[in-house]
Amino acid sequence: MLHIYCPYCEEMREEEEFSYSGEAHIVRPKDPKSLTDDEWGDYLFFRTNPRGLHHEMWHHSAGCRRYFNVTRDTSTYRIYETYKIGEKPIVTGEKS
Amino acid sequence: MTNMYTPLHHITLPDTVADAGIVMREDKLRGHLNLRGNPEDQAFTETVAKVLGVALPLQPNSSAEIGSTCIYWLAPNEWLLLVAAGTQDQVEADLRSALMGQHFAITDISSGQTLVNLAGAKLDELMMKSTVYDCHSSHFPVGKVVQTTFAKTGATIYKCTDGSFDLVIRRSFADYFFLWLKDASEDYGLAVI
Repeated sequence: MLHIYCPYCEEMREEEEFSYSGEAHIVRPKDPKSLTDDEWGDYLFFRTNPRGLHHEMWHHSAGCRRYFNVTRDTSTYRIYETYKIGEKPIVTGEKS
Repeated sequence: MTNMYTPLHHITLPDTVADAGIVMREDKLRGHLNLRGNPEDQAFTETVAKVLGVALPLQPNSSAEIGSTCIYWLAPNEWLLLVAAGTQDQVEADLRSALMGQHFAITDISSGQTLVNLAGAKLDELMMKSTVYDCHSSHFPVGKVVQTTFAKTGATIYKCTDGSFDLVIRRSFADYFFLWLKDASEDYGLAVI
């Protein structure tokens, strides 16, 4: 079981209280009508499926019922950080 | 009020079990109000504090109490107000008129959930097998509020001054909750008062 820090409850909680909600930081196109079908399809349906670092959304469904972001390694399940919606991740995998 | 039934009204258990390790008491027909608003909006927090007589708890997992009113922190912009049975309409109306024109939401959810108090010598053991949250007193001080899972349902758990727990459970899960409680406390003895 994962132990996840909820940035709103400010506590470590059991994975059982959360549900996974897919890739984070997907921005809705400002003008959907100007997109081609391929571009719109990419926005709606296609997600990256990386092995390694992944920024994803989680929902604290049995707790405060808020969405937040998690940086997790998909091969080791290690969680590097959790942060509120609207914030930027610190761990990005890019060398600074 | 004559036709109102509490979610656990159908439970029939002897109210005196010798050496019962767990004692359950339903706080019947208590008023439950869900309040939402921006905690950073001073006009909102001050108005609410004026109407209720106590400031909204802004720290995560905290609560505030005044008389028979108890306020639970549910999320950064959401609170549960527990008020004396039958007074919820008045409290809702008071808040509505005081907050007129402001950005807020208040919903009467009294009929959707119920408050159950669990006490007894075997309470720690019962909580350990019922919820994934660590309810030990070193981790769960008096006045703390936690929303978590309880068996296969959810509960809002509050630690009372006497060391017992108040649980807010959904009406639709009340029957399941009680069956779980009955089963989980079989070794300890369960009394319903």
